[in-house]
Amino acid sequence: MEKILIFLGMALVTYFTRCTMIALLGREMPPLLRRWLRYVPAAVLAALVAPAALAPRGQLELGVQAWAALVGAVIAWRTRNVLWTILGGMAVFWILRVIGL
Amino acid sequence: MTREAETVREFRRGLLAALPLAPGVIAFGLLYGMMARQVGFTSWDALAMSFIVHAGSAQFIALGMWNVTGAAPIILTTLVVNLRHLLMGASVAPYLRGLSPLWKASLALWMSDESYALSIAAYERGEGSHGYFLGANVGVGLTWWASGWVGAVLGTAIPDPTRYGLELVFPLAFLGLLMAFLKDRLHLAVAGFAGLLALLGAHFLPGKWYVIVAGLAGSSAGLLLEEVKRRWKKS
Repeated sequence: MEKILIFLGMALVTYFTRCTMIALLGREMPPLLRRWLRYVPAAVLAALVAPAALAPRGQLELGVQAWAALVGAVIAWRTRNVLWTILGGMAVFWILRVIGL
Repeated sequence: MTREAETVREFRRGLLAALPLAPGVIAFGLLYGMMARQVGFTSWDALAMSFIVHAGSAQFIALGMWNVTGAAPIILTTLVVNLRHLLMGASVAPYLRGLSPLWKASLALWMSDESYALSIAAYERGEGSHGYFLGANVGVGLTWWASGWVGAVLGTAIPDPTRYGLELVFPLAFLGLLMAFLKDRLHLAVAGFAGLLALLGAHFLPGKWYVIVAGLAGSSAGLLLEEVKRRWKKS
């Protein structure tokens, strides 16, 4: 029972972070704010990618992950296709693993 | 086509779009379930946590704290780890204007990093809709709930799912979705700057702060550069 209460507490604060901005920015917003928001996705997505590709273990390294991400980036740029990006990047990862890099 | 049929069709598109990310979700789900068992959860506890909380990173961190601290630190940490969703919610909000409060409330409920990325990229390409968004949310959600439960049922009977490099599925997917936003050199600079800041942030800041810092600073730099460029042209 105590578990469920903690889960509900976690859910409540999580939901707060997800719905606040969607609810607040519902109506007209200042043009400057809207122009700023246009840059947020590129910044957030890049922030989610870089450490996972270039520092997967916390330290900066040009390892298997970095090469997989590099090939993934080229495929993503050429095809704009998420599935091909994942398949290509994973293929590079597995090949480099197999040949022992 | 009626409005409802259109929404259902869009929902299916979103559901399908989440499919390529499933191996990544499943790998993390199995790992989560195994960890949950190790801290004394039953498989139903693990499922309940996934379903009620629905926040992968926060759930992992909470499990690590479970038998160590009380409820308050766990809930507070969950809040801090998920603060990045304020930024994601803000950037998707302009596309959701005009929707009913009920739609907004349900879209916010299961928004994950992954379904946000899928949906905002679809909106950017002019192919997004609330039905698609909900479909992506539910697609990621179903996979997360099911794989977490299976991981808890199997316990340690399965090999470590991260052994196959499946943790790379998310960054690769984000990379693919990022391309939709690199329309000009300004956006490319924003992404490069944010990536650099995220690397530094991941090294020096705790938890997921690097996403917030790099997201805020990167997008602000973009706006600043845009202003500078505009003044430059005027003078």
